[in-house]
Amino acid sequence: MGIGFIRVGLWLATLALTFAVHRAIPSEPPASREDVFLPKPQLAKLASLGFDAVLSDYYWIQAIYKVGATRERPEEFAPYVSRIIDVVTTLDPWVGHPYRFGAIWLTDSPESVRRGNELLRRGIEYHPDDWRNYFYLGYNHFYYLRENEAAADALEKATELEGSPTYLPRLVARLRSENADLESSVIFLTQLIESSESEDAVAVYQGALDEIDVEIKARGLDRARESFEQLAGHDIEGLHDLVEGRFAVLETLPPAEPRDLPQALHKGDRWFVDPETGRITSTYYNRRYRVNTRAQGEAWEGEAMPSAEKEVL
Amino acid sequence: MKAIERIWTIGLNTVREAIRNKLLYTLLFFAIVMIGTGVIVGSISYVEGSRILQDVGLASIRLFSTGIAIFVGVGLIHGEVYRRTIYTILSKPVSRAEFLIGKFVGLVMTIWLQLLIMSAAFVVVSLLSGAPVDLGHASALGLIGVELAIVVAVATLFSAFTTPMLASFFTLGIYMMGHLSRDLLQIGANSESASLERITRVIYEVLPDLEMYNLSIQAVHQLPIAASEVWLPVLYGLGYVAAILFAASHIFERRDFK
Amino acid sequence: MSSESEIVQVRDVVKDFRPGFGIRKKRVLHGISFDVMQGEIFGFVGPNGAGKTTTLKLLMGLIRATSGTAKILGHDIGETAFRREVGFLPENAYFYDYLTGREVLDFYARLSGVPSRERANRVETLLDWVGLSYAGDSRIRTYSKGMAQRVGIAQALVHDPSVVFLDEPMSGLDPIGRKEIRDLIIRLRTEGKTVFMNTHILSDVEMVCDRVAIIVEGKIRYQGHTHDFLDDGEHDCEIVVSGVEPELATQLEERHGAELRGQGERVEMRVAEKKVGAVLDAVLKARGRVLAVTPQRVSLESIFLDAVREEEGAQ
Repeated sequence: MGIGFIRVGLWLATLALTFAVHRAIPSEPPASREDVFLPKPQLAKLASLGFDAVLSDYYWIQAIYKVGATRERPEEFAPYVSRIIDVVTTLDPWVGHPYRFGAIWLTDSPESVRRGNELLRRGIEYHPDDWRNYFYLGYNHFYYLRENEAAADALEKATELEGSPTYLPRLVARLRSENADLESSVIFLTQLIESSESEDAVAVYQGALDEIDVEIKARGLDRARESFEQLAGHDIEGLHDLVEGRFAVLETLPPAEPRDLPQALHKGDRWFVDPETGRITSTYYNRRYRVNTRAQGEAWEGEAMPSAEKEVL
Repeated sequence: MKAIERIWTIGLNTVREAIRNKLLYTLLFFAIVMIGTGVIVGSISYVEGSRILQDVGLASIRLFSTGIAIFVGVGLIHGEVYRRTIYTILSKPVSRAEFLIGKFVGLVMTIWLQLLIMSAAFVVVSLLSGAPVDLGHASALGLIGVELAIVVAVATLFSAFTTPMLASFFTLGIYMMGHLSRDLLQIGANSESASLERITRVIYEVLPDLEMYNLSIQAVHQLPIAASEVWLPVLYGLGYVAAILFAASHIFERRDFK
Repeated sequence: MSSESEIVQVRDVVKDFRPGFGIRKKRVLHGISFDVMQGEIFGFVGPNGAGKTTTLKLLMGLIRATSGTAKILGHDIGETAFRREVGFLPENAYFYDYLTGREVLDFYARLSGVPSRERANRVETLLDWVGLSYAGDSRIRTYSKGMAQRVGIAQALVHDPSVVFLDEPMSGLDPIGRKEIRDLIIRLRTEGKTVFMNTHILSDVEMVCDRVAIIVEGKIRYQGHTHDFLDDGEHDCEIVVSGVEPELATQLEERHGAELRGQGERVEMRVAEKKVGAVLDAVLKARGRVLAVTPQRVSLESIFLDAVREEEGAQ
């Protein structure tokens, strides 16, 4: 009886100790283990011994983890994602989404965008009937590289394929007319959100769309400012000049937040004239739209803007 | 005709041995669990989950059935010699070739039975997850069956004259080379060295070319599979198995059972 | 086939083994020759490691002779078809222990080509013959060693062969098991089978064999009929008695030439066969008790020991 009691007690103590030790062991892998060993694509193919499809899936999931863990620092994950998607698509070139995944996330530099385009072109090789890869390619050319001709070429291919959106021909025409503007971006982004396969990607495009929305409103204010200057003979002293006083050119100022921002997230943002740039800016972003600066041929985050060579599909 | 009856008797007994062995049930259980985990792995990816589910399923089937083929295959003959059950069998009007082929047939039947069960699990898991199953999947699974027969034949060959340990090394080596030989051929062809090209060519020609039995990607992506992509490998497999069993019998005939 | 025709014929058979990967050969059989005749029980006798099992495996086609010829029923042992007429019980026979006794016998009957309509009948007959009918549906792994040995004999006979080879059929069995197997072997002779039996136990040979060959160090040292040495009248008897007074002991030693060992409650003595009656009379008259009388097959033992000593001396 007594011995039985001691035995059970010892057993419970052992269990408790074991579980305590288990609790002390972190269940999440340390950050340094995030990057799995990544072989050269050809070596991976060689070593897969016929298990290429499942190995491809493995690296694909690693890619998702990597982006999920470091989403705010594209310059950190971009080189890794570029290589891992290369491995994924070499092991199983018939995968669909990973090509576009590469295009979505490889946007931190023109080099990255071009890597993304290479992946898209490989995707097109294996999925010649899928209009989406062409569409993403067109978007990259237009939005990041300002290569409207190449963008139009890519979209033109997409228009010939089943399932492509009906307005694409108009978008192509717009790009060809050298009239590419923020409206084109809106069309692109709206379609990307519609056809997007992941919430993460939707968030990325929605972010760009929001920024463009604010930019469109800022440009409206720019035009109001010019009108004021013509009427008053001098620049505004503050935004209030546009809606008050003798030379008021606007009824009200537009909201400084993006249009689709839920009410709960409104924090009383306002417009101001940035003392550094002298431009009308929303406190929501505290800067003007970046694509806009690229459109003027300025440097991309300190890197030389590549010449807009036409890329052949 | 009598010979076929004897081969069949030995084969059936080999199946019976496997069916009464708990280890194989355990392996089968884990294989089915792994096919099921494809659902979880597939759900980690926010896209193409059903594709990943089927990738994992087909890979599990190949991994487990190849493992069973190699590690049961290499002990196939050795176990009979070690336990001396072969003594009484060969004292009957049974030739050594009949015995060897009977053991081979028995193991292949066992493994095909397991493949069938695993395939059923694969189909169930696929359909429950809404992944399509069609003739492509059947072709892929069928060719896995042919590949397994080749692996068992190779294991039987080594089992006929060496220890299970060495035989498993050799068989595993041949299995790996069989999946590498096409890539090696490519490397050889791209190299500047004529001798390297010749060596890789010989490896490609002589060793079993197993990569042709890998239709997983085609099946899962529902790519078109030509009829010749199935029946030529079947024909090749038949020839290869026959050739290996012929060589194995030849070696086995000369062996002393000390 | 006449009763004197040769069922087994071994001529100048040599067997070399190469131990390990070495080039050096080890000669296990040095050109042995012997015959086994129709209907006899042939004892192949020798110390452990003499080459008995090697010879038997050679006859069963499990190993190949380096040189020489061996025939069973006139067929070269490399053939397989004639094995329809051959039964074999290996030493410490092991069977698929996941099968039942009945399944084992059915398996061997199929392999031996017993027609399907006769098979079930044969299997039942054999199970009954070896006294295992009650355990036919139990797995072999539940069998005792004696039962497994009887299954071994049954599988050797399931296809009704004309010649049966037994390797140490009584080794590792308890006294009851030994007796059962011995009785089965003797029964085989009454059914007209030829039996070839390996053993190193001389008393077994004396009890069942018609003829023996003695093999020592891979050489046949003696061949002959058992009655040759059983009937030469030169045997001794071992008598064990109790209650022997010292004066009786002296009397036995002096008058009957008995060699006595021990005294008092247990005295063993060795006397010539023809004196056994007189000695027993004397013991009983002196109110002693007779515990055992065992005829001593000294001849075979001495032949055997001579053969071994001769071989050792030659080396």
